[in-house]
Amino acid sequence: MPKRRDILAIVLIVLPWTLLITVWHQSAIAPLLAIRKACHHLVKEIFIIPERLAVRHHRLSDDGVEGKREAGGQAQDSKEYCASDKDIVEVVRTEYVYTRPPPWSDVLPTIHIITPTYSRPVQKAELTRLANTFLHVPNLHWILVEDSQRRTPLVTRLLRETGLNYTHLNVETPRNYKLRGDTRDPRIPRGTMQRNLALRWLRETFNANSSQAGIVYFADDDNTYSLELFEEMRSTRKVSVWPVAFVGGLRYESPKVNAAGKVYGWKTVFDPHRPFAIDMAGFAINLRLILFKPQAYFKLRGVKGGYQESSLLRELVTLNDLEPKAANCTKVVDMVLQREENS
Amino acid sequence: MATRMKLKLKTVFVLYFMVSLLGLVYALMQLGQRCDCTEHDLPKDRTISRLRGELHRLQEQIRKSEATKQPQKQADKPSLPTIFVITPTYARLVQKAELTRLSQTFLHVPQLHWIVVEDSPHKTPLVTDLLVKSGLTYTHLHMPTAKDRKLQEGDPSWLKPRGVEQRNEGLRWLREDRRAQPGGDNQQGVVYFADDDNTYSLQIFEEMRSTQRVSVWPVGLVGGMKYERPVVEGGKVVRFHTGWRPSRPFPMDMAGFAVSLKLVVANPEAYFDGEAPMGFLESSFLQGLVTMDELEPKADNCSKVLVWHTRTEKPKMKREEALQAQGLGSDPAVEV
Repeated sequence: MPKRRDILAIVLIVLPWTLLITVWHQSAIAPLLAIRKACHHLVKEIFIIPERLAVRHHRLSDDGVEGKREAGGQAQDSKEYCASDKDIVEVVRTEYVYTRPPPWSDVLPTIHIITPTYSRPVQKAELTRLANTFLHVPNLHWILVEDSQRRTPLVTRLLRETGLNYTHLNVETPRNYKLRGDTRDPRIPRGTMQRNLALRWLRETFNANSSQAGIVYFADDDNTYSLELFEEMRSTRKVSVWPVAFVGGLRYESPKVNAAGKVYGWKTVFDPHRPFAIDMAGFAINLRLILFKPQAYFKLRGVKGGYQESSLLRELVTLNDLEPKAANCTKVVDMVLQREENS
Repeated sequence: MATRMKLKLKTVFVLYFMVSLLGLVYALMQLGQRCDCTEHDLPKDRTISRLRGELHRLQEQIRKSEATKQPQKQADKPSLPTIFVITPTYARLVQKAELTRLSQTFLHVPQLHWIVVEDSPHKTPLVTDLLVKSGLTYTHLHMPTAKDRKLQEGDPSWLKPRGVEQRNEGLRWLREDRRAQPGGDNQQGVVYFADDDNTYSLQIFEEMRSTQRVSVWPVGLVGGMKYERPVVEGGKVVRFHTGWRPSRPFPMDMAGFAVSLKLVVANPEAYFDGEAPMGFLESSFLQGLVTMDELEPKADNCSKVLVWHTRTEKPKMKREEALQAQGLGSDPAVEV
C-alpha cells in the first residue's frame, strides 16, 4: 500500500512540473516560429520577382542595426536563407544603367560625404570621377565645400548636372600674404576649415533628437573608393575603421584588431603611437555622435603632421569604441591616390 | 512522533501539489494572453514589416518602369550602337584602384562592352576577379609586350610607346574572334581606346555613339596644356590646337577620338605602329582610315572638354621597401 501511495505522490508532484515546463517552452518558441514563417513567406514572394533583382542580406542583430548589402546573388533555396533565424533575405537590384542616382530608400541610413575641394586644373576631372562613383551609392548626400571666397560656377554647374543629392558650401582658408604667390597659411592643414564648416552645417541642420540615421565620412577628391566601402560604413554605431591603401609610405595602413574584434593598435610605420594613426579616408562617424558632441572639431593650428585625424577623433571616441570593418580590417576597400600634377 | 511526521509529510505534499497546480494555472493563463514580447523579438518584427513594405514599393516601381520601358526597350535594343572600349592595362600598385574607378564610370553607360587587355603572359586573378565583380559586359584578353619594347625601371614614361601590342590585340579580337561569334556580324558599334588612368565624363560616351567614321573632341590636361582640341570651322575640322608638334597628321591623344566598328573591320591592315616616333602613335593608326576633312567633330563643335588625360603619381613606398628589407613587409595576401 505505501508503495502505491508513494508512486501516486511522485506522479502528482512530477506531472504539474512537466506540464509547466512544456508550456513555458512553447511560449518561447511561438514567436520564433512566426518569424520563420514570415521569412519563408517573404522569400517565396521574392522569387516571383524577375532576375534583375540582387540579394541584400539583412542581419537581424539584437540592436536592430542593418547589415551589409551584397550585390549580385543567385536565387537560392528559401530554407537555406530562413534556416538561421538571424537572416532575412531581400532581393533588390537596381538597374544601374538606367536609374541614377539610385532611388532613395526610407530604411537605409544616409551617408553624408564631406569633400573639401579647391580650384586647380584637375579639379573638374576629380570631381567628375567622384560623382561617377557616388552615383552608384543609395542614400548619399554629398557636402562639397570649396576653398574659395565665392561658390564657383564650375562646381555649381557640375553638381547640378550630376543629379546627386548635394549641399554646396564654401569657406576660404586665410591666405598668408607675406609669402609670395597664392599660398595659403601653411600652418593650417589643407581642407581643415572646409571640413569644420561642413561639421557645423550638419550640426545646424540636424537636430540631435531627430531619428534621422546618418553616417559622416570625409572623402577627399583625389582618392578611389570601392562601392563595398559605403555598405561597410553604413552600419557604423559610433566610429568605424578599416585599412587604407597607399598611405604612410606603405602598401596599406590598417588598424590592429585582436581576436575579440577590438582595435588595440595601428599597423603603420609613420608614428604608430598617435592616438589615432589613421588616414582621413579610413574612418566614418555616426551622425548622432557628431551631434551629441557639438564641440568636436578638427584642430586648426598647432597640429603636427599626421595628427589631424586624432584631433577630432580624440574628442569623440576611445580606442575601445572603434568598430573594425572590412572583414576585421583584412580587406582593402579604400585607396588613396595622388594625382600627378599636370602630366 | 511517527504520526506527526507523517502528517507533516502529508501537508508538505499537499502544499507542494497546490503550489504546482497554481503555477500551472498561471502559465496556462499567460499562454492565452498576448505575448508581452521581449526586446529580442520586437526589432525583428519591425524589420520584417519594414522589409515587406520596401519589397512592395520596389515591386511597384519595377512594374511602373517596366510599363514605360517596354515599348522603348524593343525599339532601343537593336538600334543603340555598342561602344567597345579597349583598355590596355599592366600590373602595378595602383592598377586595381584605376580599374575600379574606370568600372564605376562605365557602369553608367548603356550598351558598353569593355575589352581589357593585360600586358602579361597570362590573365591575372586580380583583373579576372575585378571584371567578374564589376557587373559589366566585358572581354578579358592578354598580350605581353616584348622585352625590348618595355619600359624599364627608371625610364621616363615617354621613352617607349605603351599599350601598342595590347590595343592591337583588342583590334584583332574585334575583327576576328568577335565576328566568329553568333551575332558578331552586327557592325553597329564604336571603338574607343580608353587608358586606365584617364577621367571620362558620362557625356563623352553619348557623343561618340553617333560616330559614322571617326569622331574627335577636345581632351583636357594633355600635351602640357589645359586642353588640346581640333579647331572647327563650318562644321569641319580645319586644324588642331595643340602645343606640341602640330605638324603631325593627327596631333591628338588616344582619348580624343573614336572609330566606327564598320571602319575598323573594313580596314584590317590598320594597326598601331610601335615603331612610330614619339607622338605619332595615333597618327599611325588613323592615317589609314580617314582624312582630316572626314573627321566628325563632337562635344559641341569641339568646344567642351569631356575627357581628361589625368595621370596618377606612383605611390611613395619608401617605408614599405624599408620594411621589406627587414623581412617585415605588409601581408602580400591582402590585395591592394
